[in-house]
Amino acid sequence: MNNRWWKVALAATVVLGASACGGAASSDGPVTITYAVWDKEQVPAMEKIAAEFEKAHSNVDVKVQLTSNKEYWTKLQTAVTGGSAPDVFWMNGPRFQLYASQGVLLPLDEQIDAAKVDTGAFPEALVDLYTYQGKKYGLPKDFDTIGLWYNKTLFDAAGVGYPDANWTWDDLREAARKLTDPAKGQYGIAAAADSQANYYNTIFQAGGSVISADGKKSGFDDPATVEGLRFWVDLINKDKVSPTIQQMSDTEPAQMFSSGKVAMYYGGSWEAVGFAKNADLTGKVDVAPLPKGKKEAVVIHGLSNVAYAKSKHPEEAARFAVFAGSPEAQRIQAETGAVISAYQGTQDAWLKATPQYRLQAFLDQVPDSVPLPHSKNTAAWTKKAEELLLKAWSGEQDVTEVAKTLAEAVNTELGNEK
Amino acid sequence: MPSRVDRRHTTWHVHLVLVVGALVMVAPLAWEFLTSVKSFGESVRVPPTILPETWDWSNYGKVFEAVPFGEQFLNTVLMTAGRTAGQLLMCSMAAYAFARLRFPGRDAFFLLFLSVLMVPSQLFLIPQYQIMQELGWLNSLPALIVPGMFSAFGTFLLRQFFLSLPKDLEEAAALDGANPLRIYWHVMLPLARPGLVALGILTVLWSWNDLLWPLVANNDPEKMTLSAGLATLKGEHLTDYPVLMAGSLLATLPVIAVFVVMQRRVLEGIAFTGTKG
Repeated sequence: MNNRWWKVALAATVVLGASACGGAASSDGPVTITYAVWDKEQVPAMEKIAAEFEKAHSNVDVKVQLTSNKEYWTKLQTAVTGGSAPDVFWMNGPRFQLYASQGVLLPLDEQIDAAKVDTGAFPEALVDLYTYQGKKYGLPKDFDTIGLWYNKTLFDAAGVGYPDANWTWDDLREAARKLTDPAKGQYGIAAAADSQANYYNTIFQAGGSVISADGKKSGFDDPATVEGLRFWVDLINKDKVSPTIQQMSDTEPAQMFSSGKVAMYYGGSWEAVGFAKNADLTGKVDVAPLPKGKKEAVVIHGLSNVAYAKSKHPEEAARFAVFAGSPEAQRIQAETGAVISAYQGTQDAWLKATPQYRLQAFLDQVPDSVPLPHSKNTAAWTKKAEELLLKAWSGEQDVTEVAKTLAEAVNTELGNEK
Repeated sequence: MPSRVDRRHTTWHVHLVLVVGALVMVAPLAWEFLTSVKSFGESVRVPPTILPETWDWSNYGKVFEAVPFGEQFLNTVLMTAGRTAGQLLMCSMAAYAFARLRFPGRDAFFLLFLSVLMVPSQLFLIPQYQIMQELGWLNSLPALIVPGMFSAFGTFLLRQFFLSLPKDLEEAAALDGANPLRIYWHVMLPLARPGLVALGILTVLWSWNDLLWPLVANNDPEKMTLSAGLATLKGEHLTDYPVLMAGSLLATLPVIAVFVVMQRRVLEGIAFTGTKG
């Protein structure tokens, strides 16, 4: 069946391609497509997907190029400025609009239609994330949500019941209090100042917002948003059940958690492979859905495969970018356990890759998920948030005041975007 | 004999300071080594263990699975050798011209030259990338070597060195009918050896450690240098620190070997420039 599907797609794209290029660019000869990615853990899966694509397109050679996440964007930006970016590359939500608005990316609507990919099979928030001015520039590649990771050994020792889907903020505070033992240097939870893993979730759970729906105004000064921020600040400064921001900048919260120094940790679905790899944690940790505030909410984010507008082989690039979002490619990707594949029904392999954790918690939260806040130049205002919120986390300044200053700073940045 | 006692006293103090200094310098390397033989779990444990619970040497083998170490090693050696040879030749030629030859606009040119030193190197990234692209050299060895074959710093360094040399020998050579090229090659270069050694050492270190440019210019793993290749071992959410440390240590060994072999020269050279890589 897959075979036939591809022949149709192939025929359609050849016709489309021929009419679009007036037959000038022949793609009969061998064609090399470069595919830039940033996560070492996923390289084997990406190579397998590339090989699968090559089977159906014998004239195409897909080369996977790995750059570490830290340097990926510097390199991509340089290559785009120079006009020689990779043919297909990973894209994330916060950066997407910047690239799409500059005409760097190739619209994929035709290829998606030609390949008959059912976009309804992806979480809608993610399809929208990679749509700009009505055009689709990428199919969702994967997604991640946040869960409450907890240390079973510490819970057992303190005689506290494990977190479950019914937990509320109060349950979490209560448990954190019981799990804190200053004599042992042990804390109930790590109240890190991380946007995606921590405060965005509680902001949405409190009914607040980060950016208004039209992307023009900051929601940081909304009282509900402030409540979502205060949740974390109080855990550190009032309840004293979390390490201080100073301690957490000395030692990463994930390390404190994996060393049994904190009992609970808000972490993404991406943590599963790392915890599984750590022999110290065997049989000790598990994960539950996030405790709810006024309502249930969790941040969802996912990457996409996008094609380069100035690629020398736009048809092949677009075809491969779309193929990477196909059910077969998504199934291959899920097997590594590194990320949750975005296509509905392909997540089983991800659940089975690290079966020791109740990873279903991450999938169960998807119906209540809110997309990671983003705008055209996301990095400009998230930087402000990172800087300013530290003052609230350290207790130096009241959250309400910080939020007000922050909202003004974000509004200025948003005003600069247009 | 009070003077002798005094001297022993000073030696004792100096040695204490030196020992402390040596420990501070060696500590990161020792930590790198100890981490490279720990298990992944132990490497991220807080509080950290000093000595590994079990010595896990397999991390060294994993480096070779994770990156094409041999090819990247060769690329790094070729890049370092090419850049160093290029800088020694070209910087010394330019430096000699600026120090001794008289030509119109010499000082203006030299000022222009010095201005290059004032610009942070990241600013060159994009123009340099575009030049390499126009030449069709991206993702190849020339892209690694050619842009590093010349430096304003090297020229400046050697010019100052040439200026400090007495003119007598040159004048004697000129009287014997030697042209500037001959004087440069047969008289000046041998005299400038300490300066050349210093520049050579600095260039070797800088090339060996250069990360950003090789990473941006080249894409394929087998065309990268060790620094860029090892950087890919850093994952988005998960970094296998023992393997990364094992790889980094292996990449450092050749530089350490060079230092041990050329210890005296290195010290003389660095003492001469008063700088450190």
